Amino acid sequence: MQESIADFALKLAEEKSDYAEVYLEESTGRSFAVEQGYVNGGSYSKSTGLRVRLLKNSKLYTFSTNVLDKQKIASAISRIRFSATFDYGLSEERAWKADYAVKEAKKIEDADMLGDLIYLDGLLAKEKEIKYRSLYGVLSSMRSYYANSQGSEIRARIPYVNSFFRIVVGSGGETRARYRQFGGVGGYELFNTEKISDELVEEARSLSKVTQQGVSLSKSDLKKIKNVVISSEISGIAVHESVGHPSEADRVFGREAAQAGTSYLAHNLGMRIGSEQVNIVDDPTIAHAFGFYLYDDEGVKARPKKLVEKGVQKELLLNREYAYMLNAKSNGSARSDSYSNEPIIRMSNTYLEKGDASFEELLAEAETGIYVKSFTEWNIDDTRSFARYQGNEAYLIKKGELSTPIKNFVIEKTTSEFWSAVRLVGKDFKLWLGICGKGEPEQGVPVTMGGSSALLSFG
Amino acid sequence: MEAKYIVEKAMSAGFDEAVASVFSSHRSYLKIANSRIDSIVEKRVESAQLYLASKKRLLFTNIEKLDEESVQKSIENAKRLVSKIKPKEDYFGIAEGPFKYKRVKLAYDAELAEDVSGAVSGIAQQSISSELELGASSLAGTVVASASEEQLATSRNVSVESKDTMVRLSLRPFFGSVSVQDVVASRRLSGINPEKLAERTADTALSVRKFGRIEPGAYDVIYAPSPAGLILSNVSAMACMGSIETGSPFIGKLGKQVASNELSVFDSAVEPDGVNSSVYDSEGYPTQRTALIENGILKTYLHNHSTAEKYHTKSTGNAGLVEPVPNTLVLVHKNRKKDLNYLIGEVDKGVLVTNTWYLRFSNDVTGAFSTVPRDLAVYIEHGEPKFAIKPIAGTEATGIRISDNIPRMLKSIEATAGNPVQSTSWDSEGTYYFTPYVLVKGVKFTVA
Repeated sequence: MQESIADFALKLAEEKSDYAEVYLEESTGRSFAVEQGYVNGGSYSKSTGLRVRLLKNSKLYTFSTNVLDKQKIASAISRIRFSATFDYGLSEERAWKADYAVKEAKKIEDADMLGDLIYLDGLLAKEKEIKYRSLYGVLSSMRSYYANSQGSEIRARIPYVNSFFRIVVGSGGETRARYRQFGGVGGYELFNTEKISDELVEEARSLSKVTQQGVSLSKSDLKKIKNVVISSEISGIAVHESVGHPSEADRVFGREAAQAGTSYLAHNLGMRIGSEQVNIVDDPTIAHAFGFYLYDDEGVKARPKKLVEKGVQKELLLNREYAYMLNAKSNGSARSDSYSNEPIIRMSNTYLEKGDASFEELLAEAETGIYVKSFTEWNIDDTRSFARYQGNEAYLIKKGELSTPIKNFVIEKTTSEFWSAVRLVGKDFKLWLGICGKGEPEQGVPVTMGGSSALLSFG
Repeated sequence: MEAKYIVEKAMSAGFDEAVASVFSSHRSYLKIANSRIDSIVEKRVESAQLYLASKKRLLFTNIEKLDEESVQKSIENAKRLVSKIKPKEDYFGIAEGPFKYKRVKLAYDAELAEDVSGAVSGIAQQSISSELELGASSLAGTVVASASEEQLATSRNVSVESKDTMVRLSLRPFFGSVSVQDVVASRRLSGINPEKLAERTADTALSVRKFGRIEPGAYDVIYAPSPAGLILSNVSAMACMGSIETGSPFIGKLGKQVASNELSVFDSAVEPDGVNSSVYDSEGYPTQRTALIENGILKTYLHNHSTAEKYHTKSTGNAGLVEPVPNTLVLVHKNRKKDLNYLIGEVDKGVLVTNTWYLRFSNDVTGAFSTVPRDLAVYIEHGEPKFAIKPIAGTEATGIRISDNIPRMLKSIEATAGNPVQSTSWDSEGTYYFTPYVLVKGVKFTVA
């Protein structure tokens, strides 16, 4: 890495400011796409770039470039105008010197991912229920060097394995689409073709059954449904959308208002969000999880954050700006998706903490109701108050056991209604991959969401 | 570094086809939050993208530094990598030039190109003072400006250059508990008028003083230009050949009625002020204004050269080197009212939706989706705005949701108001559309 260029930029920036930091990133990536049996080519990219942030007289300025030329960088720094009118401050944080690298049991650079995608495509092609299939894989590796004028020097190397699958099952003129994402932070061992094919084939067959045998409940039957058991996939999306996002301090205090929106916590910090059973955590330090990191992009050491404890809102996700505003310390939630974008407050791996109920106990306790295993369409308003999760694979629960497949069962509740209904939490635990979007330009960062299944009882 | 040089080097290394794009840009993002300029991020990029084909094996790569050594290194690396890629058996190559391009005068603003960061600051200051003078209690927003240059060369006799500028202003003022978000975009600074946009948002926000709730059910909806474009831009994506091959509501619908008789939908890369306009596509083929839907009939799918060859038709200038991509949606309806008030007068029981976000398909093959209105929504009764939909208790959210289906929506567009204006949304960054106000009959709402 060209650390000397970053150090050069830091020295110049320090001379011009009260605080300066540099972030140098070198990333390489390969991607492959296979659609309906056709290989849509591949891509290989390598890029290196530098971001410089300076704070002077409470004004913050950020610039980035991929032209790592000393003269050009010096010229860019000399032209900086601190014109922002917002009074910034950054919390005092410990200076860290660290160097960490995520190990790869199977090196991603040696992996034949295209071969594996073609193999998986072949398996999926044999499933008569699957009408359309699209497979996309990405292997990337990111090396970064962060340094600031307070003496921090942090080096990291993080490899990513990521893949997207879209299958559409169809029968009798009706179709159902399913998207899945597999991978994580680590080596190619995270791309387990047998596991992926088993899960996709099983889902295709189950969704096909929903298409052929599923029933839609009448309005009056729907009104009778009081108990809903949700899988970790549903608790994951709900945790992410209705608790993680509104816990981002920049939303709470209006910085994101014209983009991804605000937060119901703006006037309700410390509110009761859900029942006593609800404990929600965001933790970047989970090994191999897609949202893994040990130091954030402002040089702050990462740690787990308890967003909700026994149903009550606790910590916000903070960067140094909002920690300063709240006279607190950052909890290491600043992330950027590239050297070219500013670090902003993001989630990492967000989950509903385990309870102690088995899946059978959740069903037995529900006795009558619906089990929602996977979702399709979902959305939420920009204050994160009113969400919808439409079941893709769902079943009627009758006498505490799974029964008929149910089509298009929708959970559409306010955040408070949803989390207040949690009566029992399962002891299973699974994290689901996602790319989370926020900011402008929109930044997509790798995250996971999930945790445990749960029984919700609506009044 | 010339794009032609990179193509020559690639061809002499034994590739069958090469396309090189050498690109430089200066882009400035300014964020307004809590009625102040919050931050400015400046980005400078110089890069080259290279597309290579060898015996139907396709590879995209980039050239990290624009010097001869990096070009050589990238091509050698590509040579090694491409051998590991399997052929795309239904690939028919890139378009053979040279081409004559349309004499469309795409706007370019030399003044903006000179001072991209100065431009965003000036617009932000004007926007903040205008909104506050008009009574906004708080303002959020974004100003983005950029100047960029591209050279494109291909191994099929194409060598073309372009220079582009753009500016985009998005304002979200809060007037007490009511917020409105609106956006304008142009290729020229003079195409953006912060005072006018501030007035428009204030007029909208203050147009209704009463508040109430609606019941779940079907309503006629008037979409403002931004949400209309955001939702309907999916029409162009669904008409791209890649979607047709992997599941789209338009499969088998060529030449058939897919929309109301009076509706026409175009995909255009040649709108003079279109932020995404370009007289050539990614393989250097001349672009055009393509009638996707004309008087309700689906006229064509969107093609690049390869898919056009595969399906024995002509490219629509929508490369995408491997798969076609849409450019800018333009919506035209024969029943066009003078302005929004005339359109409101047509509605017996409906909702004016000023902004939406978070559109998700439950099934992109059928086009079934739901989306969430954000900011001001106004209930209309007997041709009159009755009340703004009030937030659900304890929140600032209106707690309403739209469930619809793209094919149904196309058939239910009954009228529009005003001229199509260039718009976009945070939820569709990089996508622009020219849309008027659009009236859609019988849209389902659920309510918290």
